Amino acid sequence: MTATATDPIARLIACYHNPMSAGLEACAEGVPLIGITSNTVPWELIAASGMFPVMLRSEAGATPFADAFMEPGIFQPRIRSIFDQIVAGRWPLRAIILPRTSEQEYKLFLYLREIARQYPEKTLPPVYLYDLLHSRSEESRAHGLKVTFGLKKLLEEISGRSLATDDIATSIAESNSARSAVRSLVALRRGAPRISGCLALSLIGPFWFIPRKRYGELAHEAAASLQDSPALYGPRLLVKGVSIDQSELHSLLESFGAVVVSEDDWWGERSAGQDISTSTSPVEACFEKCYSDSPSPRIFPGTFADAWLNDRSREGIEGVVFYLPEDDYVSGWDYPRQKSFLDAHGIPSLLIREAPRQIQAAESARIQRWVKDLPQGPQS
Amino acid sequence: MSEKQLACTVDAGAYQKEWFSQLRRDVFERHQPYAIIQADMPFELFQVMGVPAVSNQWWAALISAKRLAPRCFDELNARGFHQGLCHYCSLPLACTLAGDSVEAPWGGLPRPALISARLTCDCIQRVFEIWAQALGTEFIPLENPGPTKLPPRWWELGRYHWQQLFESDRLDLTVDQFHILIRALERITGRRFEIDALRQLMEGVNRQEEYFDEARQWIRKAPKTPVRMTEQITNVMAAQWLRGTDWAVEHAKKFRDEIRTRVESGIASCPEEKLRLMWVGAGLWHDTDFYTAFESQYGAVFVWSMYLAFGPDGYIRYGLSDPLRALASRVVSMNEQLHNPPWANEWIADQAIKHRIDGAVVLIPAGTRSAASGTRFIEMALEKAHVPVMTIAADVVDSRSWDGQTMREMVARFIEERLC
Repeated sequence: MTATATDPIARLIACYHNPMSAGLEACAEGVPLIGITSNTVPWELIAASGMFPVMLRSEAGATPFADAFMEPGIFQPRIRSIFDQIVAGRWPLRAIILPRTSEQEYKLFLYLREIARQYPEKTLPPVYLYDLLHSRSEESRAHGLKVTFGLKKLLEEISGRSLATDDIATSIAESNSARSAVRSLVALRRGAPRISGCLALSLIGPFWFIPRKRYGELAHEAAASLQDSPALYGPRLLVKGVSIDQSELHSLLESFGAVVVSEDDWWGERSAGQDISTSTSPVEACFEKCYSDSPSPRIFPGTFADAWLNDRSREGIEGVVFYLPEDDYVSGWDYPRQKSFLDAHGIPSLLIREAPRQIQAAESARIQRWVKDLPQGPQS
Repeated sequence: MSEKQLACTVDAGAYQKEWFSQLRRDVFERHQPYAIIQADMPFELFQVMGVPAVSNQWWAALISAKRLAPRCFDELNARGFHQGLCHYCSLPLACTLAGDSVEAPWGGLPRPALISARLTCDCIQRVFEIWAQALGTEFIPLENPGPTKLPPRWWELGRYHWQQLFESDRLDLTVDQFHILIRALERITGRRFEIDALRQLMEGVNRQEEYFDEARQWIRKAPKTPVRMTEQITNVMAAQWLRGTDWAVEHAKKFRDEIRTRVESGIASCPEEKLRLMWVGAGLWHDTDFYTAFESQYGAVFVWSMYLAFGPDGYIRYGLSDPLRALASRVVSMNEQLHNPPWANEWIADQAIKHRIDGAVVLIPAGTRSAASGTRFIEMALEKAHVPVMTIAADVVDSRSWDGQTMREMVARFIEERLC
């Protein structure tokens, strides 16, 4: 084993760039893989059932199946890529569980079912909907709890074993340890940041790709080793808008001297959130985590959805970048309200519509000028 | 808009205008409450509570038909909402935000007592929340649970087997949501909700849709269509927004009778009809003349749209011992039935065959993304049923990106190359 291979930072970065590697290793050892697409599927329940939840992530490259079945300009690149991977049979998935976290994921559910119905020769894995609703009401909560117990039953059917309370509790404990590790990494971005946004995404991202116990160990080690890194100097940015599972935007912003220290996104700072409660029934606790402490585009009302941004943007941030790519048709409704809040608090913000991969020179120069005009963050 | 061939089309238009004038009088002079709601809402609850309900989509169509949408959207964009956001459901909001800079149709909407929407897509909660704030009114959202089972040929199950077709959990939650809405309606009206009144109205809806079903059968079986698609829409939707009321039931009957008379008398809306076209999607409200543009040269007549067909297939519910639950089953899957696989593609292909459709024009509503999904599957299902398809990407309410002449030329080419 090389020195690099034992370095927790290098290992986490490797996982970030090879998100399926841990899942495929587990699969080779006979562990069934369950594909998921968002933070709002109870990871802990799947893991407790002896299966491996793999977070499907977008990939660069052609999407011939999406091109054939998905209307152009309607689905986000992430959803198109995931659809393509599944229809192409890229991964040996036992089943796929899609949450009702976004309309796009719900449609993905319907499309995959239809492909399976019309093209049985494709032998797609069975696709299930985890119908978690996101409005803040007693009815939505009760429905969510009911479907979470339904999910438990489904997992028992898929795995062929009953899901014991102790197993779920163990899974929650491991997951909480990983959440604590994420928070340690997040802490390195507070005040005078010790890690760049690109590195932070690479270290936090594997929270979704590898077993939580292993992630917790690696991420705690990584955080400890980075504790004494020199502070990074530059305007500290928070990224808000469409969820991004790649680091190109961070890379672009940081190439201009900024440090991205936060994302209102489950791929970044908000991936872990608070621990899952251990003082209530484990299934209920898993539901509560997805319902109450997981960012989602369907959270309603807007005041509830904005609360995190409103707090975080006033805690050591020099500017906020709103990323609303051309295909956005959801976050744009929130933008004027959120920008208005920032304006009222004297926090500069910038709207970016172009995808970082295809950014034009003029747009790049505009972003660079904006970053240059921001106040600098603390030096230490 | 092209000539009105049916007397009941004139009646429907006049009634709607008078209905809206009365609503304005009631609100301004008698301080009566009214509501603005999404098209897929349970209008029946508002009806039985005596609260007039204006459909957001109907109002959007009116604004669009008056060619006001571009100015409204300019105002919306000037407030920081980008141009890629959905248009159909947000045009009335844009009109509200535009304020006095745009002269809204028919004197405009007074302040409603509440606005309400089912949370189908990710945008609607946002649009309505912003709108409620602008109007200074209350927004009541209704959650929209998703289906896990979608059995084939839903339109054969909906009338009698709706309890099985729409899953029990979904119906339970939808009924719970209805109770929230009912409590709000009781609060703003000071009246008590009467379940028997709802049952009676639901029976009226069944009668109304049975008339529409008969009208559809006459259109289907006639050698040439007796009524243009645009006139079908005017008549049907005027009644659907008021469904189950005496006027709506009576109007549906009149519509059926007039069509029957025309068929029995051998009257066709286009005597030169040679090709029967199907329009899949919402109407192009800013250019409804588009639908008659291919008659004189090609004898190509738009015969079918979802507006007439969906009532009989989607609304009729027999077995009204629990009318709230039956009502829940009417609204809970509209989105899947009209727009998404497998239900939309299966149904539309079946309708195409039954209506002897020669070619279909499938709209990809670029400005209404939630309704734009599923169109590929619809296209494939129609082609599989030997119905040639042309797709059109267009915004149904915003004419800014619409080039009517080019679009007519494209359809003409489609007719020449694939249908003639």
